[in-house]
Amino acid sequence: MVSISTQAKVGLFVLAALILLAYMSFRVGQYGFGLKNGYLISAEFENATGLERDASVRIAGVEVGRVENITLTDGKARVSMRILPSVKLADDVKVMVRAYGILGDKFIEIIPGTKGRPTLEEGGEITRVEKQIDIDQLVRNLTNIADDVLAVTASLRKVLGGEEGAANLEGILTNTRELTANLNRVVKENDEDLKTMMTHLAQASKDLEKTFIALRQISEEINRGEGTMGQLVKKREIYDNLNETLASLREITDKINAGKGTIGRLINDEKTVDALDTSLASLDKSMEGLNKYLLKTEEFRTFLSYRGEYLFDSQNSKGYFEVKIRPKEDKFYIVGLVADPRGKRSISERTVDGVTSHIEEWDKNKLLFNAEIGKRFRNLVLRGGLLESTGGIGLDYFALNDNLRLSFEAFDFDPDRRPHLKVFADYELLKHVSMTAGYDNFISDEGNESPFVGVSIFFEDDDFKYLIGNTPIPK
Amino acid sequence: MKRALLFFDNLGSSVMRTVEEAGSVLLMFIDVLKWMVKPPLKLDLIIKQMEFVGVKSLFVVVLTGTFTGMVMALQGYYGFRMFNAESMVGSTVALGITRELGPVLTAIMVTARAGSAMAAELGTMRVTEQIDAYYVMSANPVKYLIVPRIVAAVLMLPLLTIVADFVGILGGYFVGVPILHINAGAFMKNIVTIVSLDDIYNGLIKSAFFGLILSVAGCYKGFTMTGGAEGVGKATTEAVVLASVSILVCDYFLTAIMF
Repeated sequence: MVSISTQAKVGLFVLAALILLAYMSFRVGQYGFGLKNGYLISAEFENATGLERDASVRIAGVEVGRVENITLTDGKARVSMRILPSVKLADDVKVMVRAYGILGDKFIEIIPGTKGRPTLEEGGEITRVEKQIDIDQLVRNLTNIADDVLAVTASLRKVLGGEEGAANLEGILTNTRELTANLNRVVKENDEDLKTMMTHLAQASKDLEKTFIALRQISEEINRGEGTMGQLVKKREIYDNLNETLASLREITDKINAGKGTIGRLINDEKTVDALDTSLASLDKSMEGLNKYLLKTEEFRTFLSYRGEYLFDSQNSKGYFEVKIRPKEDKFYIVGLVADPRGKRSISERTVDGVTSHIEEWDKNKLLFNAEIGKRFRNLVLRGGLLESTGGIGLDYFALNDNLRLSFEAFDFDPDRRPHLKVFADYELLKHVSMTAGYDNFISDEGNESPFVGVSIFFEDDDFKYLIGNTPIPK
Repeated sequence: MKRALLFFDNLGSSVMRTVEEAGSVLLMFIDVLKWMVKPPLKLDLIIKQMEFVGVKSLFVVVLTGTFTGMVMALQGYYGFRMFNAESMVGSTVALGITRELGPVLTAIMVTARAGSAMAAELGTMRVTEQIDAYYVMSANPVKYLIVPRIVAAVLMLPLLTIVADFVGILGGYFVGVPILHINAGAFMKNIVTIVSLDDIYNGLIKSAFFGLILSVAGCYKGFTMTGGAEGVGKATTEAVVLASVSILVCDYFLTAIMF
């Protein structure tokens, strides 16, 4: 056995200990080595509370330097930072003081600037300093928000609290359940028809677009006074004639509405629906050809929505089921069913012994229809068509990233009474759920005005497709 | 009356004894400093003491260091678990070991092993008149007996502390990561970010002071002992107690100055 001398033992021990020291120093001080050659930059902060020397400087969470010094200049905290020489900062970087979590230590975050800009050199200064949100401020803001929320909930409690409110809510829920069940049935029964109808509508919209272009050309021509139409528009007598024509047209439509004449009967007759059904079916077939011709169905999107509204004054609820077809970003069609608890109104006129009497009837089992066409101009949407089975127009204004919709609707222009006006705001609470509140029929002279609240559930394109995709569609 | 006077008598004499002792320690220390710089330096004697103080204490230091680190990890874990901050165990162990426990425990262990041996050796030499023999040979016993011990202790204590630091953190790691299932990356990251070089170096500076304290106490008690074989035992005990207490008291003041 080789005996180890005392000197060797001591030497070995010293060496081993020094190696360990070097290792630990390297691990712990690892960072300090590269940083020594780093360059100094500085920034002025309004408030550097919690920031200490040697706090880290990070870009995207990666440490690129340390705080070297913090001094007070002109009532602001001037923080100088030593940055790794390998890290180049553009001169438009932004800095902010941040914390690891709510209670964590503070560090400086650098948000990278534009590539290609001149870089900061030794002694450079970052001028774009983002304001730091401190916890106090946050808490103050939150308190304000909480107060607001409290006020809202308090008023909500006034509306919904108590036995009456609970009963009302229960009523809404029961109604909604019934309605959804009905809707479910309707959708199931008409599933196939709806699908084909929508496809065809999409095709039709394509055609409509072309028509619109043509129409615009024509209208331009008219404006210029070219062609027959142009001449017509320019002449006064023709204008008068047109006015008369419109007046007589008005008479005719009134008659139709009242169920007079062939067309009137046609519209108000049950048979018409059947006839329409069959004609729609044949329309389906004829459109099949078009379908193949214009096979770009993917572009358009469809939305399915159901909205339940509770009218406070009449203590009734109303349900809307709508299919919105949006072939283009700024254009859409809405086809929908409306379940009004009052039902569908029909007026019949009877003449007995020379005395004409109007009889107004409400058929509670009948659904009302919505069929609208709409166009969007930036945040404003203009739509018109059939609203609750009567002619009408609507105006929507979108705000808050389209989450909030302010709407105005006017329909049921009956000469005997004031039109049905409705304003409401719709706010998208969740991805598929939104809340509605508004005032219905507010200029009514029949005492139908009522504030209302409602909830709607809507599905977008993909969801809808997924739902339909579960049921096989025969080709 | 007489009793009261006796009390003051006792008090006064014990104070005087303490001050006298402190004075003679200081005188001896000055003597050591003088002989330390006076050539020739007895390198072989120093190395022999370094082996005794350093190399031979290694095992006991490694053992204490490891188990201290392990128990710190275990205790720290129970505390930090309440805040879901288990990964902080690593930095706590590392910080505690490098700043405090490494230097102090090493110094206490070396006191127990080498400090006591110094007192016993020198005491025995005093009893057997070997120290007087140095004077007879006109050789200074301080230079031959005390200087090498003190130099060796001052040099070896920091080195032992390094080892204690390392094995302590290692012990903490082995309890923390494989046994308590703390995330290894977070464990190490916290050590690296929270422990700074200053923590380690200040610990080492402290341990050098501790080396000085324990060797001076051991040498002084042994060198100045009286009273035969019984006195040797008494000197040894006193050396260990004096050194241990002084180390802990000085530790506070050194920490207060350095951190």
